[in-house]
Amino acid sequence: MTITTTESPAAAPRRGMNILFSLTLIGLLLALWIALGIVTVSFWTPLNISNLLRQGAMTAILAVGQTFVIITAGIDLSVGAIVGFSTVILAWLLQAGVPLWIAIVITLLMGVAIGAFHGFGIVRMGLPPFIITLATLTSLRGVGLLITNGSTISINNEGFTNFARADFLGIPSLFWMVILVAVPAYVFLHLSRWGRYLFAVGSNSEAARLSGVNVNRTIYMAYILSATCAAFVGVLLASRIGIGNATQAEGWELQAIASSVIGGTSLFGAVGSVHGPLIGAFILATINNGANLLNVNSFWQRIITGLLIIVIVYFDQLRRRGSR
Amino acid sequence: MTRLEDIAHRHDEASALLTEGSRVPAGAPILELKGLQKNYGYVQALKPATITFLAGEIHAIVGENGAGKSTLIKLLTGVITRTAGEVLWCGHPVALSTPNEAIARGINAVHQEVVLCPHLSVAANLFLGDEVERHGLMRKRQMEKMAQSVLDDLGFYLPAAAELGSLTIGQQQLVATARAAMRGTQFLIFDEPTAYLTRQESAQLFKLIRRLQSEGVTIVYISHRMEEVFELADRVSVLRDGTHVGTRAIGETNENELIALMINRSIEQIYHKEDIAIGAPILEARGLTGPGFEDISLTVRAGEIVGLYGLIGAGRSEFALGLYGRQPLSAGEVHWMGRKVKIRNERDAMELGIALAPESRRDQGLCLNLPIGLNINLPVFGRLSRGPVIGRAEEAANADRQIRDLAIKTPSRRVPASSMSGGNQQKIVIGKWLSHGAKLFIFDEPTVGVDVGTKAEIYRLFAKLLKEGAGIILISSYLPEVYELADRLHVFRGGRLVGSHDFHAATHEDVLGEAIGV
Repeated sequence: MTITTTESPAAAPRRGMNILFSLTLIGLLLALWIALGIVTVSFWTPLNISNLLRQGAMTAILAVGQTFVIITAGIDLSVGAIVGFSTVILAWLLQAGVPLWIAIVITLLMGVAIGAFHGFGIVRMGLPPFIITLATLTSLRGVGLLITNGSTISINNEGFTNFARADFLGIPSLFWMVILVAVPAYVFLHLSRWGRYLFAVGSNSEAARLSGVNVNRTIYMAYILSATCAAFVGVLLASRIGIGNATQAEGWELQAIASSVIGGTSLFGAVGSVHGPLIGAFILATINNGANLLNVNSFWQRIITGLLIIVIVYFDQLRRRGSR
Repeated sequence: MTRLEDIAHRHDEASALLTEGSRVPAGAPILELKGLQKNYGYVQALKPATITFLAGEIHAIVGENGAGKSTLIKLLTGVITRTAGEVLWCGHPVALSTPNEAIARGINAVHQEVVLCPHLSVAANLFLGDEVERHGLMRKRQMEKMAQSVLDDLGFYLPAAAELGSLTIGQQQLVATARAAMRGTQFLIFDEPTAYLTRQESAQLFKLIRRLQSEGVTIVYISHRMEEVFELADRVSVLRDGTHVGTRAIGETNENELIALMINRSIEQIYHKEDIAIGAPILEARGLTGPGFEDISLTVRAGEIVGLYGLIGAGRSEFALGLYGRQPLSAGEVHWMGRKVKIRNERDAMELGIALAPESRRDQGLCLNLPIGLNINLPVFGRLSRGPVIGRAEEAANADRQIRDLAIKTPSRRVPASSMSGGNQQKIVIGKWLSHGAKLFIFDEPTVGVDVGTKAEIYRLFAKLLKEGAGIILISSYLPEVYELADRLHVFRGGRLVGSHDFHAATHEDVLGEAIGV
């Protein structure tokens, strides 16, 4: 006989708390922008803003995919490697004369396959997500290096490489890609039952299973979405740098996880949103951008990012404890 | 001086707080609770209680599930902090706000489920947090020798070098008790210690308890097994619905008085059983075999409650999970409405019309940190969606309807399920299946940790489901519950069906005897 209540006098409704947290994040982002606008002359120039949006865009898309996985109480360490690998596959296909659209579709399908492999490892082989995605992280880099023999493949399709530099309605095309991903992702996570299932699996997979949720399929779905987002970012990166290189996007998985966590996702699962990681990604991009403008040593940028993660997550913990 | 006292003595010297306790002469108050009170959210788990524990006594605490026994232990061991009231330890007011404070004062608890490290050796567990060292290195062999002599001294035939996880739960509990004894404990609380023990292990535990008492340790013994209380205790306190309703010297009371204090109402008042016509068979299990159960055959008819009684681990929950498709069946047939069916997974079971309110709300029943509304709607999101998108209005309406119909005490469907009391959490689990709808409801220990008011509501709900033509499988370890409610009562022991009785056809003693195997 146990009493299954926890210490919780009159918990406030969740939604209110989430709005409060999002507002705090947006406030932080705006404060950074205003401060940088005051201390530097070049921050609020159109060139810099579109640069900032481009920098943040790719992390933002990775962070959204990563968030799906983290909500199920998992982790996807392979996303950086998938990005690099995708640039190689795309460049390789283009070099072989495959039409652009088909090459892009094949690259994205390869993302789906890698995600499905992660799902297989977790569901069927019983491997911890940390291990299986760590394994693909290192092997994909290896496969990419084998294909390119350690060098790079350049992309000669001008239309494709111009895309990343193009603007549409005055906004960088890469930022439009964020919207292209974020809107369906929002509908999926917050408005569809599949999103609810992600939360349920992350909270208590046994309860979800006994309530008729197909837990295995939900886990497959989360990892496929994350890997596909990463493959998509690989396509965007290939367009931006015009080459395929397996060592690109080193450490981006940590950027994605950091953005997600700054955006309020709990690494224990069952807490997260789509808008949080987006804001988190642009906070990180702003810090990097600002540090560049202020001529801060780029090594310091890493230190600042680390400290920021600690501070934001610590305050979020305090808030959660307070609400309990 | 025995080894045990020798080692305990080492601790005495180290801890000034402890010597404070040993000053109390036997028979004088060692721990006094004055108006001790605990609220959980909206629920008063323990109403102001005033109980005095005397040094060197064995003080039993009895009460039904949900009477507040666990809350009391958690308060005394510093796991939770009190809402109001005062605690006097050896005459001085104390906070008991952390587990460490309770342990430092010499208050310890042995729980029904052992909280030690299963991968470490018995010796390592005995010395955990207090290892013998020389020059910063552990004296492993010396600790093992000391541990072995303590175990031998207590009469446990256990190797000190064995991995704790390789022992039975009963043996692990003896280790936990030895650990508490070694720490110079003044005040030792046993929380339903015999729930998982064999008779022999129980006897060994009782011997140890008496021995600790003779060494001056005050024992609090929590149980709902009357025979144990009368065998061991000097005095007994009764809790009911979070209220302390009385304390008696064991010689001045009897079983009937205690039961009357514990329930304070006639059995007919709690167990709501209506005369409902029994219809055609819904489910027939023939020779079902799976992990933890073997060759189980039973039938559930419309309008009928089929009770499954047995001790914990007898295979009832495993049978339920097997039937529900959570565990694979290795043999046997399931017939549903006269048709042979194959249930491969939970969704197959749900589609047929089987609902399962599982044994553990925390581990199997609820997504605790998610909103009540999401928990209620989890099985029916498919129905609430148009295309890929959930109808927000339907979602809200469905959750609110269950909250209203079941009188779940919450300000909003958005409140996380974890903030609810046990009774309300159980209602959320039930609400989930009412909104889904089913022909056969399996309730596994539906009233554990549930207050009496909610219990009555749950029983009334059973009657309502039966009248609508459903069948119910009721699994319970609390005999009166299945005895008074089940139209047909099946007894499990060691994964097998060992007895089947119609309503009131067997006595309590017969059923209990079958379950224990005498």
